Amino acid sequence: MATRHDLTLTWRDGREETVPASENETVLEAAESAGIGLPFGCRTGACATCVGRLIDGAILYDRPPRALKTRHIEAGYVLCCIARPRTDCRIEVGADVQTDLVSNPWK
Amino acid sequence: MATHNEQEREHHEHEHHEHHVHGPGYATPQAAIEESTPEAVAYVVGLYTGSDIEAPDFIGVVDVDPDSDMYQEIIDRVEMPNRGDELHHFGWNACSSSCHVEGLERQYLVVPGNRSGRLHILDTKDRRHPEIETVIEPEEVHEYDLSGPHTVHCIPDGEILISMTGNADGESPSGFLELNDDFEIEGRWDPPGEIDFNYDFWYQPRHNVMVSSEWAAPVTYQPGFDMEDVEAGKYGRRLHIWNWSEGTVEQTIDLGEEGLIPLETRFLHTPESVHGYVNAALSSNIFHFFEEDDQYHAEKVIDFESREHEDWDMPVPALPTDILISMDDRYLFGSNWVHGEVWMYDISDPSNPRKVDSISIGGYYGDIRDVQGRELVAGPQMLQLSLDGERLYWTTSLYSTWDDQFFPEEKEHGSVMLKADVDPRKGTLELDEDFLVDFGNLPDGPARAHEIRWPDGDCTSDVWQ
Repeated sequence: MATRHDLTLTWRDGREETVPASENETVLEAAESAGIGLPFGCRTGACATCVGRLIDGAILYDRPPRALKTRHIEAGYVLCCIARPRTDCRIEVGADVQTDLVSNPWK
Repeated sequence: MATHNEQEREHHEHEHHEHHVHGPGYATPQAAIEESTPEAVAYVVGLYTGSDIEAPDFIGVVDVDPDSDMYQEIIDRVEMPNRGDELHHFGWNACSSSCHVEGLERQYLVVPGNRSGRLHILDTKDRRHPEIETVIEPEEVHEYDLSGPHTVHCIPDGEILISMTGNADGESPSGFLELNDDFEIEGRWDPPGEIDFNYDFWYQPRHNVMVSSEWAAPVTYQPGFDMEDVEAGKYGRRLHIWNWSEGTVEQTIDLGEEGLIPLETRFLHTPESVHGYVNAALSSNIFHFFEEDDQYHAEKVIDFESREHEDWDMPVPALPTDILISMDDRYLFGSNWVHGEVWMYDISDPSNPRKVDSISIGGYYGDIRDVQGRELVAGPQMLQLSLDGERLYWTTSLYSTWDDQFFPEEKEHGSVMLKADVDPRKGTLELDEDFLVDFGNLPDGPARAHEIRWPDGDCTSDVWQ
């Protein structure tokens, strides 16, 4: 049986949920199994709709997070659709996280 | 006794019946103007992708018949089977280009999810209550090394062509996917590797030509707009001129710095014409493309100046994100999403568009900031014009991640659909302040509204042979 970890999801409005996740599941799948809907789009790591920010813990990708730039990866952003937990994790989730990736270039 | 409107509808059905002997659509653009009745319903994309609302995207059926009790209401919502699609542009299985194909009907809408890669086929036999006929899953599309479906046009023999903005990984090169008339994937339409970037396209079969434009690869544009990507050459600025029957690129035109991000590609409707327009959204220019001496050329014909804004560090570009041509080929309409302007140019001389009117609405500078007390939290975006050229409608969402950068309030408030009355004889636009469809008040929460289509043909999809 695959190793299980606790995945703590936090939203900016203060909501927090902890769900179990096996190492075979992505963060998105683990949340869905627990009846929690997170934003997503392509589910292949190309579009960044599902982006979260890893506050604590370790994840592993089985394919490159193509939608994230180096500066995003260094700042702790992760793609929930392809990230698989390797330890207990705390991840900031929700659509607001995505808006941090890019800003208005003229402002 | 039948009301005036019912009589019109019966008259229309009778004409339609006669027409089916030949095929879908109208014999000529002028026939579309003369024989069509005013639009009664509009199909409009409604989006929840990219929000925390746990609902799928939908096609909203909006009642646009002023004589109906349900006028301006979203009378039905066809929900997609999955969340996360980002429904964007969509098209018909058949248009006037198949006017000669007996037994074919303009009945099915092909509705792609730009983020998911999923293709939905909707049956609109019941115009007011369409249903999902079939769904092609993303994995089937990825088998052809394509993703990011964008524009849908039918091919004159009943097949369907879809521009795709990326390969299976969401990167370049991109290409085109072809569906057969049973809505199964036929395969790649083009030999792989002809183009890096893709977006919109339009074909003119009488001249055996197709023109395609360039946005960027999904990995670039889907996370949001980043100026670094422009500087790195990850956004397009070229037009591709294709041999329509062979599916090969004959000529590529680099529009240069003034042609960054060429989006909507619109040929004039008359099948004789070799003239068209494309909007370079980031450079805020409109280019005229045309054939002369067996070559296509592109010339900048409209240039929207950037404007200073007290809260912004840099002059703010207009961002003309959509254009369309009236069915009589007399007017070019467009929307400057960021500045907040809907504009109308006379294009009787295609090389010299002449501005005739505009409405300053929403966006960052619009004079009109609300309609019926509803605050406008974004600028005008996707346009659709009635076939008779007298009613122009628009919505306000561009793309979920780009909306969040430029008009973040739209996520909270949702989009609106608005309308202007057009006088084609005088060349004027007037906002219809009695018309408002609010996508902010829906049971699942505020939705973004994007492309608009009519059941009986569009100024942005019908092609003639």
